[in-house]
Amino acid sequence: MDDVATKIIEILRKNMKDPSKAVTLEMPLSDLEIESLDLAVIVFDIEDTFGIEIPYNANEEVEAFATVGSVVDRVKSIIAETKASGAAA
Amino acid sequence: MINSNGRRRVVVTGQGVVTPLGTGVDRFWAALKNGECGIRQAQSFSTEDLYITIAGEVPDFDPKERLKSKSLLLADKFSQYAGCAAAEAVAQSKLELPLKDSESYRSACIIGSGVGGLTTLEFSYKMLFKENKRATHPLTLLKAIGSSASAHVSIEYGIKGPTFGLVSACATATHSIGLTYRMIREGLVDFGIAGAAEASLNWGATRAWQAMRVLSPDGLFPFSKRRNGTVLAEGAGILMLEEYERAKARGAPILAELVGYGMTADAADMVNPSIDGASMAMQIALDDAGLSASDIDYVNAHGTATTVNDVNETRAIKRVFGNAANKLSISSTKSMHGHCLGAGGGIEAVAAVKSIGENFVPATLGLDEIDPECDLDYTPNVGRKREVNYAMSNSFAFGGLNAVLVFGPPPA
Repeated sequence: MDDVATKIIEILRKNMKDPSKAVTLEMPLSDLEIESLDLAVIVFDIEDTFGIEIPYNANEEVEAFATVGSVVDRVKSIIAETKASGAAA
Repeated sequence: MINSNGRRRVVVTGQGVVTPLGTGVDRFWAALKNGECGIRQAQSFSTEDLYITIAGEVPDFDPKERLKSKSLLLADKFSQYAGCAAAEAVAQSKLELPLKDSESYRSACIIGSGVGGLTTLEFSYKMLFKENKRATHPLTLLKAIGSSASAHVSIEYGIKGPTFGLVSACATATHSIGLTYRMIREGLVDFGIAGAAEASLNWGATRAWQAMRVLSPDGLFPFSKRRNGTVLAEGAGILMLEEYERAKARGAPILAELVGYGMTADAADMVNPSIDGASMAMQIALDDAGLSASDIDYVNAHGTATTVNDVNETRAIKRVFGNAANKLSISSTKSMHGHCLGAGGGIEAVAAVKSIGENFVPATLGLDEIDPECDLDYTPNVGRKREVNYAMSNSFAFGGLNAVLVFGPPPA
């Protein structure tokens, strides 16, 4: 597992009801038992850690966050976009 | 229909508002009837680096127009909004000033705010931390604290009875009005100025709200399939409440009667509302009023246009009203004035009182495609003439704090 995935799993674990639970890339987010405000905190932690902005509206269905792996993929693509545009966070 | 059990009755003898649709009840109500929208691109603060750039800002507010006192002219905007709305309510009520000695301790001034002088704080911190100023302006603290609006207004009118600010996020104004209602009813005071003010539109607050991920970059569309969050706004809503016999004796204008008040807490979650808390608050308000659900003609919903509130509120209304829900007119005027946070309940109470006086239900704007889960009559897009005898106003705040008011016609 690469550095981005490791860091993200660490952030998820910090905010889960049961941090000792195993987290894999295939796991659906719903299995992690994360509630809406916790999700906002997780997004904030990820943004802060990687210096990026993640567009996310709690009122909208977000298929992009279906599994842990999809979160990692989305973060990686935002990191790449941010680097490419030379924009600081 | 109302069994008052010998209990003192409370009427509304004056109202005042400052809103994103304009200042003054006449302007505000005309805008509601016309289906105007006060949500626009923000202009009163920098939107640099923000992805939420819309808000409901009070247009063309000139404190010098309605406020005379020097101290209010130097106060934070939230106090100025309160002072302005209170001035309108007091003028309408034809309250004789100065208050007699026998009256001054038997009057209340309960004006709340969600965050008080947050904009003053933001400015002051910028001066201290960024500009390294050696001191803040001496009035900073007084401008910032949430109790100052009530203090300013009490000084303005010589109110010497219960006077303080009340805090309950988006239910602040409703709780303030309900509390004053109970004080009059229980004989602690004979009249009072009640409501709330909010002026928290600034860059820092918008950043904080953005982080909660509940704001919409597009607009406020309650109960609609396309709703995707709420829009911040500001203003003040104030009622003059008075014991009925006293109001009648002095020939005061009587706009409506405040007949019921319910308050509950969800005791569940800081953001996600529960059906239980909301429905209990409505039921308690009905029981307090001695009314059944089918007596209510119009519900001014909390209707914030978040995914969770609107469906939760729909279910709670169905639980309380049962089949009577099908004959109910409901609307969220937040679709027109935005989410005025602490002041919202006061502004919405004024809309409820006007709906009774004018037999007109304001619309829910932007309701082009109804969410099938919100399948009650939310008065889509165009307001309606309808006989309104009893109107209910809902406020369901963060942390699960619920407050509901029921207004009725002036006593016959």
